[in-house]
Amino acid sequence: MKQIKTLLALTLVSVFVLSACGGGAATEGAPESTQAVETEGAAPATQEAATGGTVIIGTPQEPGMMNTLLTSSSIEDAVTSLFVEGLVSVNEKGEYVPVLAKELPTVSEDGLVVTWLLKEGIKWSDGSDFTCDDVRFTMEGALSDLSQVSASGYRDIESLECPDPYTVVATFGEVYAPYLRLFAYTVPDTAGALEDMETWDINRNPVGTGPFILSEWEPGDHLTFTKNPYYREEGKPNLDSVIIKILPSREVGMQLLGTGEIHALWDLTEANFPELEALKDQGVSFVSTVTGENELLSLNFGNNDGSAPADPASNPHPILYDLKVRQAIQYAIDKQTIVDSLLYGNVNPGNSAVPVGTFGCPQPVSEFSVEKANALLDEAGWTVGADGIREKDGVRMSLKIATTTGNQLREQTEQVLAEMLKAAGIELVIENVPSDVLFASWESDGMRDHGTYDIVMYTTGPSTDPDSHLYSSFHSSEIPTADNEGTGANFSRYINADVDAWLDEAATITDTAQRKDLYCKVVEQINKDLPRIYLYERLSIMAHRNEFQGLKISPTFVDFAWDSANWTLDQ
Amino acid sequence: MLTYFIRRLFQSIFTLLVISMILFGLISSVPGGFMSVYTERSDYSPEDLARIRAKLGLDDPVPVRYLKWLGNMIQGDWGNSISTKRPALQEIADRLPNTMLLMSIMLAATLLVSIPLGILSAVKQYTWFDHISTTLAFAGQSLPVFWFGLLLIIIFAVTLKGGDGKPLLPGSGMYTLGADFSLADRIKHLILPVSMLTFVSAAGYIRYLRSSMLDVINEDYVRTARAKGAGERRVIYKHALRNAIIPLVTLIALDLPALFGGALFTETIFAWPGIGRLYFNAALKTDYPLVMAILMIESALIIGSNLLVDFIYAALDPRIRLS
Repeated sequence: MKQIKTLLALTLVSVFVLSACGGGAATEGAPESTQAVETEGAAPATQEAATGGTVIIGTPQEPGMMNTLLTSSSIEDAVTSLFVEGLVSVNEKGEYVPVLAKELPTVSEDGLVVTWLLKEGIKWSDGSDFTCDDVRFTMEGALSDLSQVSASGYRDIESLECPDPYTVVATFGEVYAPYLRLFAYTVPDTAGALEDMETWDINRNPVGTGPFILSEWEPGDHLTFTKNPYYREEGKPNLDSVIIKILPSREVGMQLLGTGEIHALWDLTEANFPELEALKDQGVSFVSTVTGENELLSLNFGNNDGSAPADPASNPHPILYDLKVRQAIQYAIDKQTIVDSLLYGNVNPGNSAVPVGTFGCPQPVSEFSVEKANALLDEAGWTVGADGIREKDGVRMSLKIATTTGNQLREQTEQVLAEMLKAAGIELVIENVPSDVLFASWESDGMRDHGTYDIVMYTTGPSTDPDSHLYSSFHSSEIPTADNEGTGANFSRYINADVDAWLDEAATITDTAQRKDLYCKVVEQINKDLPRIYLYERLSIMAHRNEFQGLKISPTFVDFAWDSANWTLDQ
Repeated sequence: MLTYFIRRLFQSIFTLLVISMILFGLISSVPGGFMSVYTERSDYSPEDLARIRAKLGLDDPVPVRYLKWLGNMIQGDWGNSISTKRPALQEIADRLPNTMLLMSIMLAATLLVSIPLGILSAVKQYTWFDHISTTLAFAGQSLPVFWFGLLLIIIFAVTLKGGDGKPLLPGSGMYTLGADFSLADRIKHLILPVSMLTFVSAAGYIRYLRSSMLDVINEDYVRTARAKGAGERRVIYKHALRNAIIPLVTLIALDLPALFGGALFTETIFAWPGIGRLYFNAALKTDYPLVMAILMIESALIIGSNLLVDFIYAALDPRIRLS
């Protein structure tokens, strides 16, 4: 009997140790994070305006790198936006606004010379002056061998002159229409030699012009940003510090948001709407912005036998090549119902390849009419068979739809689509694949590149300037084939001579109004020819606690901290 | 003895080489690979992609890349993480203390719980106590860790509140952000991950010790000890336990590499900044130098501890050397 007591006691000791710690902590009056940091600052007497405090922002990924020239993932772009600034930026309405430049850049008559005037007196967080030399260094960095950023645009600059420290004059070899998006970030010219880029000190101890600067990086756990002492605006930023907390997943992040352990959660998707509804009465709300991207269906004009024809007319898709069929599919889809039932009415039905921004060209939402769908298919010679699915010349109207696996919202959307198309006698067979397979490159036998699909559903859209998106998606030279080694994103194999001409012309002019006009023509033609059907506009969503205010996200989203100087925290 | 030693050593090195080949081949055949980070973005032109691919050394065929990697590794250069550009070993060294802290406390707690429970379960075979502990052990072995972890978080870090209205226990991380280091805070953060790991791994130990103890208790020498009038306590501890625990020591030795590798699921669920989480994220990004470094160290440790166990056995039992 005695030995049993000893053994039980041993077991109990371990249990006791655990519970004792829990109890002890609760009675301690737990030093919560915000208070602990706050005490370092001024005395609480000065708390008239909502200044001070620490905001903790959760993210499911960890940035690898603080050097903009070497970043690759969106979380890195997001975190670096606390300290990295560009000459121009995009505000919450999707418009370009000057940041380090005094005003938006001016362009010469022939479109070849672009001039930026820089604000004077701006300092980097190490105290050195921000000048034209830094801008030149940024360009050289983007063009260097080691850079991992897109060199588009910078490659076309023939010379970049600094007539005085606050004037940047870039001369292009040929007109580069989306010049506004250049220098969306800047790198200090004190960073080091370009060939040592991978070991620069600023990779982990960054220097920036923005309101905050990194003061501590605990790998795998968090990054602490404190006020940049040299920030140009007196008294800003409002907050003392911003902590980026690395979380295991969005699900855990949602829980922590409810309990108040974090103040905001980066990068949610439409699939999180149910949870956000549930967290409303725990003081959580969200901000969102349209991204310009659409959840869409890409319809294959070419045969899906893997021949990857350069011209689908030579080997057309047996069902989808016919415009009437594509129109019928669009008529059969009730976009509003998808939005209302799956997305809680929080998003707009898709309508345009370029829905927002400086070049935004919204269109009326397509009409939903099963009758018209059926009439068009009858007209095209597709007759309803015994099982309710249409047939023509022995071909059954059965289409495969593929999207990324493991995405519940997408899977639900597919099921709804299958129901809707069935009403028009079209069978939709769901065959999803992992995202790596769906988006695989030409070399990896990517299904989009090789055209081995009927319909794929995914998200894409223009970044702030639609030039490269529209060109690569709809220009006939961008059809991936064996000859061009799979270059381009015209996965529908869509060819329209007018669209080609408009896109070619738009790339050679810099006048915003003229370009917008041409892009709108393209957008309208796309909605007539229907290589893509736009289901709904994608949002960028950030959830936050109500006491954390001033969070404004722009359609580019990744630079969610562009206005972080004005963030406040009610305490 | 020396020939046996040398033979086993060479076998181990060969095994490691084969493992490295298989691992490298598997990682290289991940569709998309590290480049998918770039190809999914619309603002990269084909020229950009070609330049980046070349810079990352992805242009060479897989066998060439493997040989390059192997050559560098033998010379002590384990490569740089693709996403952070820092040496892979540096990344690992940053996380190692966190993982060691979590795993060593877990191991200690596991032994503290499982040895008494295992013995008691065997001694009191088929009593209510045995039934309960065996059932719990089964539960511990069968519960999916990621589900169980989330359950613990929801119960202790969301639903249950402490005296001050705040959640009873922190659900993630190693310490309270912004607060100075305090032992109490660290222990609070350890409770949930350690409890879960202990529950899961103690289950195996308890069942192992129970059956090994049952074998021994029925041995003749235990009966002899009883017949000679030794007290029950003396019989259990001096005679039975000493013999029953030998296989357990082997088990522990084989579990030691986990001190390095950490617990992938646990670290991921509880946001513990250790090796397991580092590995998980590196694998997601196909950051192959980092993935390879972690897997190779882990493999070497597992093979090394097997080797150690073999040598100890060989030293103890001459018959093994000859076979």
